[in-house]
Amino acid sequence: MISPGNNAEPEKTDDCVLSVSGVTRTIAYHKILKGVSFDLMRGDALAVVGPNGAGKTTLLRVLTGLSRATTGKVDLRGSQGFVGHSSMLYDALSAEENLKFFSHLHGVAGNGVVANVLEMVGLEDRKHDRVATFSRGMTQRMSIARALLSDPELLYLDEPLSGLDDRSSTAVIGILRSLRSRGHAIVFVTHNFSAVAALATRVGYLVGGKMVLIEKVEERSAEQISERYREVVEHV
Amino acid sequence: MYNLFGAAFRIAAKDIAIELRTRTAFMSALVFAILVLAILYFARDPTSVGAADIAPGALWVTFTFAAMIGLNRAFLLEKENAAIDGLILTDVSKSAIFIGKVLGNLAFVFVVEFVSLPLFVLFYNLDITAQIPGLILVIVLATVAFVSVGTLLSSMVVRTRFAELMLPLLLLPFLVPPIVSAVQVTSRLLAGRPLSEVTGWLNLLGGFDVAFVTLSILLFEATLAE
Amino acid sequence: MSSSTGIARAGQVFTILGLVAMGAVFVRAFAFTPTEATQGLAQKIFYIHAPAAIVALMAFSITGIASIFYLWLKETRLDLFAAASAEVGVAFSVIMLTTGPIWGKPIWGTWWSWDARLTSTLFIFLLFIGYLVMRGALTDPVIRGQYSSVLGILGMLLVPFIHLTVYLFRTLHPEPVIIKPGAPGMPTVMLITFAMAVGAYLILYLGFVAQRYALAMAQETRLEEAGDAA
Repeated sequence: MISPGNNAEPEKTDDCVLSVSGVTRTIAYHKILKGVSFDLMRGDALAVVGPNGAGKTTLLRVLTGLSRATTGKVDLRGSQGFVGHSSMLYDALSAEENLKFFSHLHGVAGNGVVANVLEMVGLEDRKHDRVATFSRGMTQRMSIARALLSDPELLYLDEPLSGLDDRSSTAVIGILRSLRSRGHAIVFVTHNFSAVAALATRVGYLVGGKMVLIEKVEERSAEQISERYREVVEHV
Repeated sequence: MYNLFGAAFRIAAKDIAIELRTRTAFMSALVFAILVLAILYFARDPTSVGAADIAPGALWVTFTFAAMIGLNRAFLLEKENAAIDGLILTDVSKSAIFIGKVLGNLAFVFVVEFVSLPLFVLFYNLDITAQIPGLILVIVLATVAFVSVGTLLSSMVVRTRFAELMLPLLLLPFLVPPIVSAVQVTSRLLAGRPLSEVTGWLNLLGGFDVAFVTLSILLFEATLAE
Repeated sequence: MSSSTGIARAGQVFTILGLVAMGAVFVRAFAFTPTEATQGLAQKIFYIHAPAAIVALMAFSITGIASIFYLWLKETRLDLFAAASAEVGVAFSVIMLTTGPIWGKPIWGTWWSWDARLTSTLFIFLLFIGYLVMRGALTDPVIRGQYSSVLGILGMLLVPFIHLTVYLFRTLHPEPVIIKPGAPGMPTVMLITFAMAVGAYLILYLGFVAQRYALAMAQETRLEEAGDAA
């Protein structure tokens, strides 16, 4: 039932924004990633699911270049944004100050870029407040706003819905869906099968540092995905 | 590629803005400096050692220890919400990040130094009016020396366990040339001697600055890799 | 595993050779080298003290050079070699720092003198203790290698600056001329004994470093195998 080849793998075309081949990563003698390969197209949203300790966060850090791959290659054709586990923001600065600062470092300051991303995540009315006063959901939206400053063709997200209440989750999924529909590619790590159902075009199962299967997932409910997940993970 | 110094100034300005808003590190460093100056005044036998004799040493011990508070904090700020990852993911070079952090730390340490300097003059009953240009020169040269190496080491130790313990252990050996030089120059200046008497020390300080600032910029990237 | 065993074996051979050579140097120093006129028997300690200082400084320089190559080539073995050299350097520094005061007491009349060479060695010794402590606080070999290299390279550059600092401090505060262990006008027979002592220490250095490096390699291999098995 589970073929070793990734039969849902799209063909390489000019639409390919990310090509990952044979990536391994060893941290303190532990082989966290044991050879991960896949390609990603524009408008694709890949959900990476897997048990705890499978190497999901490590995979994202290697893809973004924050960590070096021990072996293998990550070929990014376009710009990237990263929403990590931490917000990468300064608590003592306001939402607007944070975004202005990062927009300067991205070299995209001016032209209302900060106002644009604030509007996209629906935080215009809180822009003068310090990030420290934000709820988890607002911080997460700010984190997305920061990642969107450079208008990246590819967005990485590490557990985008963890710790969010239903309302915030819906808001975040709405933001990400609108990005996807505008042709941005998305790679996100999650434990949340409703997020997979709502957002993903493909799902990758990362088990024990290996991407054991990548398959198309559209038009499936959260329950179906959850069932399929158990099937795949237990099979390995 | 965003302009190197433009980016560095942005990063430094950001650090200063955060410090102005929280003031925790600045107030701690300043109060710490005043305490050390006052304690060192009493740490002598007043019948045989005059306050002026220990003044230069007291000044530099105070400056370096107070600076250490700022240096310890410099990368904690970036580590807190993993903001350093955000910096690395922008287009700016690693050198710009390092120079920005150094400039931010320099601003912090200079302010602590120039606020505690009048107190030093007051506590140790000195007259420095004629020596101000010379003193500013030596303070700038020595502060650049220990802030550049200190910023580099701070970026490393923040990722180790026991960061607050590791920084002084690793940094103090590097403070020997700048602090000894600075104390020598300061004591000549306070004795009313001209700067020409201490060119050897000033050359040493200048050489240390050039060598270690350059090397620190080159080595910074290695402290971020993982 | 086999390569580290070979290196360990070679290290043991060098260590034994070095110890034999040290013994020979002692015999020659006491039985066949004339006693120095002004310092008397105390001068004999010079044959232990000065070579230890020379080899310690050399060991730290080799750590610095290996560190540069590590940052360039990112080869873990270079980091392990740099660390082995640093550790042996620390050991030789201890010999230098203990024999110095033992010699200083009868000659200078004081255990410790802030002599340029003694002072420089003290600070470099403390710096490399910090280097070893920091290595102990890091588990990932890549991070450990990078951080150690940064410190090793900085340390190498610090040596001349500390030396210059102590030198300037001394010239500005003239004190009675101190007798240095090993004045330039040393008779040839003493010079030969001294050269032999340096040679013996170099062989010991090679022996120690080879063994320490082989141990680190074996440990690395074991940890990698444990990681693979997990």
